[in-house]
Amino acid sequence: MRVFFPFLSLLSVSSEQIEQLHRRFKQLSGDQPTIRKENFNNVPDLELNPIRSKIIRAFFDNRNLRKGPSGLADEIDFEDFLTIMSYFRPIDTTLGEEQVELSRKEKLRFLFHMYDSDSDGRITLEEYRNVVEELLSGNPHIEKESARSIADGAMMEAASVCVGQMEPDQVYEGITFEDFLKIWQGIDIETKMHVRFLNMETIALCH
Amino acid sequence: MFLLLPFDSLIVNLLGISLTVLFTLLLVFIIVPAIFGVSFGIRKLYMKTLLKIFAWATLRMERGAKEKNHQLYKPYTNGIIAKDSTSLEEEIKEIRRSGSSKALDNTPEFELSDIFYFCRKGMETIMDDEVTKRFSAEELESWNLLSRTNYNFQYISLRLTILWGLGVLIRYCFLLPLRIALAFTGISLLVVGTTVVGYLPNGRFKEFLSKHVHLMCYRICVRALTAIITYHDRKNRPRNGGICVANHTSPIDVIILASDGYYAMVGQVHGGLMGVIQRAMVKSCPHVWFERSEVKDRHLVAKRLTEHVQDKSKLPILIFPEGTCINNTSVMMFKKGSFEIGATVYPVAIKYDPQFGDAFWNSSKYGMVTYLLRMMTSWAIVCSVWYLPPMTREKDEDAVQFANRVKSAIARQGGLVDLLWDGGLKREKVKDTFKEEQQKLYSKMIVGNHEDRSRS
Repeated sequence: MRVFFPFLSLLSVSSEQIEQLHRRFKQLSGDQPTIRKENFNNVPDLELNPIRSKIIRAFFDNRNLRKGPSGLADEIDFEDFLTIMSYFRPIDTTLGEEQVELSRKEKLRFLFHMYDSDSDGRITLEEYRNVVEELLSGNPHIEKESARSIADGAMMEAASVCVGQMEPDQVYEGITFEDFLKIWQGIDIETKMHVRFLNMETIALCH
Repeated sequence: MFLLLPFDSLIVNLLGISLTVLFTLLLVFIIVPAIFGVSFGIRKLYMKTLLKIFAWATLRMERGAKEKNHQLYKPYTNGIIAKDSTSLEEEIKEIRRSGSSKALDNTPEFELSDIFYFCRKGMETIMDDEVTKRFSAEELESWNLLSRTNYNFQYISLRLTILWGLGVLIRYCFLLPLRIALAFTGISLLVVGTTVVGYLPNGRFKEFLSKHVHLMCYRICVRALTAIITYHDRKNRPRNGGICVANHTSPIDVIILASDGYYAMVGQVHGGLMGVIQRAMVKSCPHVWFERSEVKDRHLVAKRLTEHVQDKSKLPILIFPEGTCINNTSVMMFKKGSFEIGATVYPVAIKYDPQFGDAFWNSSKYGMVTYLLRMMTSWAIVCSVWYLPPMTREKDEDAVQFANRVKSAIARQGGLVDLLWDGGLKREKVKDTFKEEQQKLYSKMIVGNHEDRSRS
């Protein structure tokens, strides 16, 4: 467990919680040192999630793993697992405005990568449509057309926020990360993008 | 060579005498009480002594850990992350409300923010999900001197290690051979006894003998595992023409229930030793054994069970509707087949005390023989059995609702968590119908807003 001490500060969790995450990692990987995409099939609750494939992809995305500008890794080890988890740590507001702003940016970048599947730095209309379709997939009452029109409407909204009034023949290429940040200005995402650990106390009782 | 002869015969004599003494003791203290269903209370005394020793051992470990500033292992009871219980609707409304504080004329039907909820929920399930946790053995709060239950076993003190070593010696060299001998006796008596009874003409005498042969052999098997069972509410025991359902933790459940009541078993025909036992048992009283091919045909299964249940002279059926072994901290979804038959259901809750030995059979990790060896080298199997009052299906209930009602009653009594998930998920994937529910809810919200807007 000494190997994981550097991650204590990264995640702001205790060593016991890292041990528990390690156990969870071993459970997911079937006692192997790395996890592959197939291992996530063993989490039944995840099946209920409509954007399941995007979430799993996020674990292997080289941009999230800080290993490169694009592409997917085949497998991840425990360090990578913790790196992805670190995007969901609670923002420590005592650290100062700059740090808070940085953490916010990191979280939003994680989300941006989820939308921007071809890693070109822009969320195009196609990619946006793809996300909406996934979120609405499986419902037999919604046709592809309605999903598309919903996506188009939302994209226009985003365009008007980022670019302002557009000329009739102006083409909006896509939402860049700066535009993405602009949309989220002033909105509190801190409580929505973090996972809190339970406070475990030392219990070792005997009867 | 001749010099060794008198020495040899001495050894042989000693061996003979000790074996005879051992078997007489076995007979007097274990087999005879099993035949008559009485108990000397030896096992209860054994259990109390063990508890005192465990308490001492845990105290020592705590003291040792404090001295060296180590962390003792903690229970893995309710998960490691705090999950928010807000529903999908509430959260999305909240996010959108905070969004419309900006100067926007109309809130869009779909926002980039909707993805937050699903993203976080996905992360939470990856870090800690209910279902996968249920399938690994429960972790203990104190140490019962079995190294298999202690992940962090460190050298704390000499005395503790000696005690542990002594424990290993007793369990493997004394208890294990004793238990194997008993198990062997029990099973062979069962096979021989039921075959003999099978030759008798049908009648009350045959039934009487058959019942007692079965009970006697199961009781011997119970002692072979050193199982200390407490039965509650025995007045609710299943009667003829009923179905007895119980939660399933291990194959030992059958022995535990059958040593207190006379049941008809249901199961698949096996080969080997199990097959021999099954064939012998069915000679003396009608059990329901299915061929492998018949098991897939649900109608055939239902038909045979219904026939059995409607014949009031036949015994109550024993069924485990979860379909697989669960680790005894929760009850998973019951398969509805046995609840469609329309007979009275007698629920039974079985709860094992994990302090003395973990009874859960993780069939993906251990085979049957390894599992039985682990059972026979544990200290004891301590469990409680509660017989719940009988239930019948109400007029406006369907089989699934009835099954869930019975499941909740069992979970409540046994102090187990009532889960909606299917035990079959240990090996298979989620049914598509469950997936669609969540997506339907979300899309209903979005399309609902869309329609409102187009109307106004």
